[in-house]
Amino acid sequence: MTVIELKNYTWRYLDTEKPALSEINLKIKEGEFIGIIGSNGAGKTTLSYSINGLIPGQYHGIKKGEVLVFGQEVEEYDKGALQHRVGMVFSDPEAQFTAMTVEDELVFGLENLGMSLSQIKERLEWVVELTGLGPLLNKPPYELSGGQKQRVAVGAVLAMTPDILIMDEPTSMLDPLSRTRVFNVLEEIKKEQNNTVIVVEHSLEKLVPLADRLMLLDDGELILFDETQAFFEKMPLILEKGINPPGVMQFFYRLHEEGSYHDKFPLTVAEGVEKMHSILRKS
Amino acid sequence: MNKTLLGYIPEESIIYQIHPFVKLYFLLVVSLFPLFITAPEWNALILVVTLGLMAASRVNMSTLKIYVPVAISMGTIIFLSYTIFGGTQPEYYVLFRIFGFPFYWERIRDAIVIYFRVLPMIATMVFFLSTSRERDVIVAMRSIRIPFVVTYVFAMALRSAGMVLEDFHIVRQAEQARGFDTKGKSLTYKLRKYIMYMIPLFALSLRRSEEFTNALVARGYAFTGEASKVKRADYILSSYTFHVYDAVLVGIISLIFISIIVLRYFFGAFGIEDSLLTIWFSPI
Repeated sequence: MTVIELKNYTWRYLDTEKPALSEINLKIKEGEFIGIIGSNGAGKTTLSYSINGLIPGQYHGIKKGEVLVFGQEVEEYDKGALQHRVGMVFSDPEAQFTAMTVEDELVFGLENLGMSLSQIKERLEWVVELTGLGPLLNKPPYELSGGQKQRVAVGAVLAMTPDILIMDEPTSMLDPLSRTRVFNVLEEIKKEQNNTVIVVEHSLEKLVPLADRLMLLDDGELILFDETQAFFEKMPLILEKGINPPGVMQFFYRLHEEGSYHDKFPLTVAEGVEKMHSILRKS
Repeated sequence: MNKTLLGYIPEESIIYQIHPFVKLYFLLVVSLFPLFITAPEWNALILVVTLGLMAASRVNMSTLKIYVPVAISMGTIIFLSYTIFGGTQPEYYVLFRIFGFPFYWERIRDAIVIYFRVLPMIATMVFFLSTSRERDVIVAMRSIRIPFVVTYVFAMALRSAGMVLEDFHIVRQAEQARGFDTKGKSLTYKLRKYIMYMIPLFALSLRRSEEFTNALVARGYAFTGEASKVKRADYILSSYTFHVYDAVLVGIISLIFISIIVLRYFFGAFGIEDSLLTIWFSPI
């Protein structure tokens, strides 16, 4: 079932001459894990905001084409209705805190959904277990470390169990350990839930193993959107656009260029090691 | 240790047994007591009781030292306003003169009365801020059915104060890193150059507002439309219980307040005429 569909979608912010997104056509199915990549200014955040309804709701600009979520144009949703189904995590976790303690932060969205106290408690327990935020519940969110803050931000949106979860560079401000923890949460979501997850991310090492499909945006245009394995078959184009694929993939691409490797590129280090063993055994 | 609005309090503090509404009620009602009491010794008693409550709540009493300069400068200003800048009052009793300025007994007495009225008011505020977290303030307000939007805006105002200070430090450090520093310069220079901090701070505040609005919208909150009509469960209140002893405390505070008003206006108590200050020091 298609949950998101963009038809000839173009968006230009009011104070700019060039569209931030130009003639975008895409379909995303229920339960898919999508990665959006691209350099700064490529239109990744604009695309995320467009699906969540923040664009055109909160921003002034000129829109052409259609953005359909669950078959309905985003502009036709009542205020707040679309956001109940499409959750959004922003890159700066601190900017999205709306409450005084982690516990209040996690339940704020649930209160907005009109849930009863018992439902809220049940949902809170679930999300605390998933994100490991139990010891931090009574702390003010803005006093936590970067990784903890981002887990709170993810948890606050996850608690609402949106059908679509969009994360705009959720690990851009985090150290490697915190980044791993956030991706562990995403891995759990992928295993346990049937949510459609869209992650905007620069760092591909963690994203690639999880993503079903990857999307490459460049200068407001969608230039590549394919299944992860097939996506990296266009390696010259990806490299040309300044994208930095995972190290293991680059290693095998180098071998491929030298004519010593002709198979699919491994997506993870484990796959790479296996392939390397196989090559060594053959030789 | 739990962080409060003005410091830290151990988790075992007895103050956490008390419902936030009682603390807010104490602040709002007890800080009114001095307005009905003229005799300084009674206001001094309120001050001592409040300090005693702070100690019982395990507030770090050494932190109160920071208020000593404030208390001294405030006392000096009140004293000077009532004496040197109080004007000439031929009907008042001149206690002494300095450089020809008459210091009237009535003026000095009034300055002491005002000073001892202000001190307990400040102490009750410090007590409240030292023992309450932002969340307590919100819970107290919501428990008396103040609309969610009002309490929410209040909570965000509390939070934004901290954020603005934090942003100010960031802006200052960024400007210092690029060679702009007012350290050691004259006050007039600092004032003139203050705009260098204010412009980026203002721009940052605008950006913060935009981000915050996005966060609210993304979390399904709306001020208008169907989403705004949703009945909120107010989960925050479920973590607090209003016990019988909370009701007793509210009753005691109310009873003392009513007693003060009755004693003041029907029996003439707490007046300056019968105060120890007048009895012991009045030259008239």
